[in-house]
Amino acid sequence: MKTHQPGALTRRHFTALGGAALVVPAMARRLRAQDADTIRIGFVGPRSGPLGIFGAGDAFLVEHFNRAQADGIEIGGRRYGVEIVLVDTQSDPVRGSLVTRDLITGQAPDIVITASTPETVNPVADACEAAGMPCLSTTAPWESFYFGRGGRPGQPSPFRWTYHFCFGTGNFVTLYDDQWRQVDTNRKVGILAPNDADGNAIRAGLLPALSAAGWDILDPGPYENMSSDFSRHIEAFRSAGVEIVNAFPFPPDFPVFWRQAAQQGLAQQVKVMQMAKAGLFAAELDAMGSLGYGLHAGAYWHPVFPFASTAVGLSSAGIAQGYEAATGQQWNQQVGATASLLDATLAALRASGAPKDKAALASALSGLQCDTAVGPVDFANGPVPNCAETHLVGVQWNRATSGPWGYQLDVVSNADHPSVPTTAAMTAYRLGG
Amino acid sequence: MSESLLNALVQGVLLGGYYAIVAAGLSLMFGVVRFINLAHGDLLVLGAMLALIAVEALGWPVWLAVATVIPLMAALGWALQRLMFERALAAGPLLPILVTLGLGATLQNGMFGLFGSNTRSLGAHIGDLSWSGWSLPGGLRVGTLPVLTFTLAIAVLGLMHLMLRRTPLGRAIRATAQDPGAAELSGVDARRVHRAAAAIAFALAALGGVLLAMRAQVTPFAGPPQLIFAFEAVVIGGIGSLWGTLIGGIVLGLAQTLGGTISAQVSLLAGHLVLLAVLGWRVLRDEAAARGGWIALMRVKGPSHD
Repeated sequence: MKTHQPGALTRRHFTALGGAALVVPAMARRLRAQDADTIRIGFVGPRSGPLGIFGAGDAFLVEHFNRAQADGIEIGGRRYGVEIVLVDTQSDPVRGSLVTRDLITGQAPDIVITASTPETVNPVADACEAAGMPCLSTTAPWESFYFGRGGRPGQPSPFRWTYHFCFGTGNFVTLYDDQWRQVDTNRKVGILAPNDADGNAIRAGLLPALSAAGWDILDPGPYENMSSDFSRHIEAFRSAGVEIVNAFPFPPDFPVFWRQAAQQGLAQQVKVMQMAKAGLFAAELDAMGSLGYGLHAGAYWHPVFPFASTAVGLSSAGIAQGYEAATGQQWNQQVGATASLLDATLAALRASGAPKDKAALASALSGLQCDTAVGPVDFANGPVPNCAETHLVGVQWNRATSGPWGYQLDVVSNADHPSVPTTAAMTAYRLGG
Repeated sequence: MSESLLNALVQGVLLGGYYAIVAAGLSLMFGVVRFINLAHGDLLVLGAMLALIAVEALGWPVWLAVATVIPLMAALGWALQRLMFERALAAGPLLPILVTLGLGATLQNGMFGLFGSNTRSLGAHIGDLSWSGWSLPGGLRVGTLPVLTFTLAIAVLGLMHLMLRRTPLGRAIRATAQDPGAAELSGVDARRVHRAAAAIAFALAALGGVLLAMRAQVTPFAGPPQLIFAFEAVVIGGIGSLWGTLIGGIVLGLAQTLGGTISAQVSLLAGHLVLLAVLGWRVLRDEAAARGGWIALMRVKGPSHD
């Protein structure tokens, strides 16, 4: 006996509807996966959680990619549609590995791409290597990609499926040596590097190279991330008369350090405050207020890079403007770097001649030479197998002279990347700008 | 060397003022309501986030934001005590821990959903205050904000001291803390006292959060490390003791800065070691008291001389 009104939605009807709603896209997906004329790119990256800002431009770039590649791409006389599947690591390495395996088994991509920090790139690349899935990645120093996953210097590469292009320690040496010369100092450099994988890599590689280049390095020793107090480092730098500070902090630690440095008189004597890891994003500088004007850093992409992204159909300046218009946020370096990842991916698909053949794709990646939004990428002449080296420019966060934002990022050194024009002369740090 | 030691002493004491404020609310809840609030660090961040929203999205001046957020958080404390904590307490000692653990996770992910993962800081909105300092004789320099924080810690704890000693509410709180049953027999409504204590604890958490946002930057996931510092200050200073919280905060701050002068890596570790040492000493002291003094404890099996 029916007790409900005709037309009303019962629980059973609702469940049935919901079930149907779930089944339909799943079927559609299976149909598409069988489609031999569509190339599927699985893009794994951090889009939520503490690293979420690295993925803030992904949706914008994919939209432009779809627009630019709407007619598909022609490879080996055959036209393929291209589809990007976005997957979120939630900034968690364990989850990054898990979602990559799910992506490979559930969505059958032809290639997986990933970017932003070793915590994202390494687990995703490991999952791809294990599954025999071609994988291309960027934005993590190439040493941490290659040596951090078990590669050994001088030995054959243990990786067959995974490829990576980014800057490395050597670029920092060239960059800092040029950038620090531009201001008159006593060449005494204080190092703030924590007790973590990056800090230890810097002690092993970068600091000896800087010493060899004639810089007087003072390293008071490793500290634990998320410290409340940096008096020990500040006192050591101040009493040694350090005029250059080179910091590699976990980003939330930097404002604590630099505010204490100003309170305790260090910021008043420092002429170059060189940040790495911290200071990539304008939001961090906005949180510092006037204390951030004049801080120095390195950048792996900038709107004045004289390159364009063919994959998304935009020049470097166009990427920055488009991102700001689409999101209402100030441009950031990762948008350009992610565009370069899409450029290199398309170039590899084209070079393979057979994008559905995973072995052909991996072999195309191993010798890939192409132009991207961050500059030329050359896997044939990389520092180690599976890696290609890109370059850095020296930058300084200055008070914005025009526009809606508080800070502008000026290019002040191009020794490591000579084709990029500088936009301002480097000035010494002055407290409060 | 002596100069850097003196510097470490001064910075450590000032840091202790911040820890004392962060720990005071936790200590009050534990001392009066017998309730371990594992969401205390996340409440700190909630207070900071609310103040940041008022300043950044609504354009309020910082003082107005702080003056609004503190009573707002107090009201939230009252409501949560009434609707959630009271019921959890009635169900035994384990449930409050689980409830506040869940509350913390909810707060973290709720704030992440609402405000995103960008780091924010009040430091940019208080001008020079976040980084200005004074030169003292002997090459010492102290920051304005740490000095203000330390002064605020003394003022807040002093006010609480006066409140507990001189007002009817204070008397009721002390009575309830000692023996809720006996207090009820004497006409004190223990549940109302507990709600008042929760309101004060949440207000203190909001104040701590605002100070955290001024000295550092906050993200939705910044709460748990602050909870650890608060816990250590409370345990070192003696659970439920008001001035003990200040002492505990200062000891923790000193341990970190003095540990840092040995090696930068020892800084956080030194704080944890002091906590263990204090706990160990308390256990031994009780043991000694039970056996009739320290000397008896030393000679556990030996014959007793004189």
